Amino acid sequence: MTKRKMKWFGMAMTGVLAFSLSACGGGGSGTTNNASGDGGKTEPAANASTDSSKPAENITITFQNIYPDASDPKNQMMKKIVDAYEKEHPNVKIELDSLNTDQQKLKLKTQAASKEVPDITVVNPAAQMQPFVDADLFAPLNDMVEQNGLKDTFQSGILDYYTFDGNLYALPDGNNIGVVYYNKKLMEEGGVKVPTTFEEMLEAVKTLKGKGIQPMVIGEKDSWTGSFLFMNILLRTNGGPGFLKDVLDGKKTFEDPAYVAAIKAFEDLVQAGAFQDGATSFDYNAGENLFKTGKAAMYYMGSWATGGIETAEVSKDGNVGVFQFPTVGGKGNPDEFMLAPGSAFAISKDSEHLQETKDFLNYFMLNFPKEAFEAKGAVGIAQNVDGDFKAAGYSDMAMNVLDLFKKVKGGDLAFDNTMNPGTTQAHLSGTQSLFVEQKDPAEVAKELQAAYEDNK
Amino acid sequence: MNVLKVSRWTIAAFILPCLIVYVGLVFVPILVSLYSGMLDWNGIGKSTFVGFHNYVKMFTHDSVFWPSVRRTFTLAGFSMLVQVPIALFVAVLITRFVRRPNFLVSSYFLPVILSVAIIGQLWKTIYNPASMGGMINGILTSLGLESWTHSWLTEPKIAIYSIILVSLWQYLGYHILIQFTGIQNIPSEIYEAAKIDGADGFKADRYITLPMVLPILKISIVLSFIGSLQSFDLIMVMTGGGPAHATEVLASHMYNMSFITMKYGYGSAIANVLIAMCLIATVLINALFNRLDKRYS
Repeated sequence: MTKRKMKWFGMAMTGVLAFSLSACGGGGSGTTNNASGDGGKTEPAANASTDSSKPAENITITFQNIYPDASDPKNQMMKKIVDAYEKEHPNVKIELDSLNTDQQKLKLKTQAASKEVPDITVVNPAAQMQPFVDADLFAPLNDMVEQNGLKDTFQSGILDYYTFDGNLYALPDGNNIGVVYYNKKLMEEGGVKVPTTFEEMLEAVKTLKGKGIQPMVIGEKDSWTGSFLFMNILLRTNGGPGFLKDVLDGKKTFEDPAYVAAIKAFEDLVQAGAFQDGATSFDYNAGENLFKTGKAAMYYMGSWATGGIETAEVSKDGNVGVFQFPTVGGKGNPDEFMLAPGSAFAISKDSEHLQETKDFLNYFMLNFPKEAFEAKGAVGIAQNVDGDFKAAGYSDMAMNVLDLFKKVKGGDLAFDNTMNPGTTQAHLSGTQSLFVEQKDPAEVAKELQAAYEDNK
Repeated sequence: MNVLKVSRWTIAAFILPCLIVYVGLVFVPILVSLYSGMLDWNGIGKSTFVGFHNYVKMFTHDSVFWPSVRRTFTLAGFSMLVQVPIALFVAVLITRFVRRPNFLVSSYFLPVILSVAIIGQLWKTIYNPASMGGMINGILTSLGLESWTHSWLTEPKIAIYSIILVSLWQYLGYHILIQFTGIQNIPSEIYEAAKIDGADGFKADRYITLPMVLPILKISIVLSFIGSLQSFDLIMVMTGGGPAHATEVLASHMYNMSFITMKYGYGSAIANVLIAMCLIATVLINALFNRLDKRYS
């Protein structure tokens, strides 16, 4: 759920030249207005009670977030916690700035350039938040996370992705893994079993294709989707995690046999006809919708997609299952997953109300798991959840995903969380090009290595 | 000035607010971007001054830059040499044969007022593979022309032309409206006089309409050229510059560099090249039309 990149339509303005362009974040901006409208309504009440009880100063905290969709449990949950907090602290007003993921990324970059970061904002882990940390924009949260035992609610190790030089700068809302969802009915019609090796997967793809069933779907217009799958193949061909780190440490290059083999395997999958025609013009949502509407047998995605798939038509009667990405060429361990520590909340260093903001975020994150559990959005959150998922009415598929979480024995982060943006873009377009033409894997690897050295 | 009987200072005072806004919103950003085009800067953190390094890299090392320039000019070429002439032709036909042209002109104009995001989604669906309900491929298949079907937006060689077609379709009505208005403004006496002299129909168009509408045609051409250089939104909605940069144009390349790859300085350098191109092209087009003007007057 968390790291999902909801690409509705292109919305952009191009910086200094200010070519402003048409936007269509209809759902997004509409809800933003609602959200801040609600905030506005509570203000008079807050003022009134402040006058009578406490002489505390009235303050406003801006809370930038990526839960713009009012029908999304996360959005409802956020409003619930915020409302509760505002009731308890009548002098504090939380102003919500709800944007979809891409808008938020762009807005934050623009704000960061002029050093006007909102009190609370959203960043992505590791390499993606590095530039912001380098620019010294965020307040360390080391002391805050110790308060009220917040730190212990997080899964062990997850906070490392948000820690730089011993300082923790952000608190994640999610922790996901890469899995393959499959449509049981279509797999049965095609007469194929859940593949346990990549080679079986290729066979299954060909068999399904032969019977006129779309084997897999992907939203490759947003090129990170293909990269995420590709990186899972690399995790196998490399015989374990850490390939990109070795590249960064200078121990390996992208021309390493493991990387070339991964390109080869990925090409085999594409050439076998695994993905829908015109995959590179489908954005993330459009691609996922094909699976959700029962038009494809398999779908590789982060476990954040569980909620959406669970409530879709295709999941009727427990029709959707999940399996671990198989071994490739006999290599790798299926218990190693693509890890996707989610987007995380950071606090601006220059916040006017630093302490109050920290207190609020502390409260927010403490209540997050409980509320998420109740809203049935607790699969793939970064904190430990007390509660019986089965009894709470979570579906079999959600339970399957939770079981996979228990199997996790390490893994790799997505490419863009490890490498700098320049190299990432070269990798993304290189991977995307495999969808439209057959290329020599060694050549693709060579180009990427050149781009990497160029961007070092 | 003296005719108005107001002092120059008064005039200056009235011009000033507009001038300040204009300078502040146009010239200052251009100057800032000239400066940031010489920085190695990710847009957030510290920046280092690198002089013209960004430009050198752009012209010699950037494998996406020149193809983007080529595509940008292809789009501009189609727009100026195909779209505008068609628009003029349609405008002439409407003026001549349609008695109440308003409805027709408004209908042609309709796509212009639709949001690009909507147009993009609409055409994406039209271009889809037949299995996904794509209209063009569906029609081709039902005509038995399976071999003509393509995945229009994802084959690197044809994707950009598919987008150009949409762009031409969308702004055709805009240019028809401009030309149509231009033709309407030609006094009818001239045509009547010409008719007496024996110039009628297309002959009249050749010797009266075309020269008389030339200034309007110039506006159309300049607008279509600059519009093509700035084309960005449609590409973002339809392909995002992909597959693998196959539909990247200058503006989208600039955007990707500035905001996605986080090379803000480099992106600014591309923006400056874009500004330079716009200026040069406007001057050239003006010069060309001045010559044409002289010849016809």
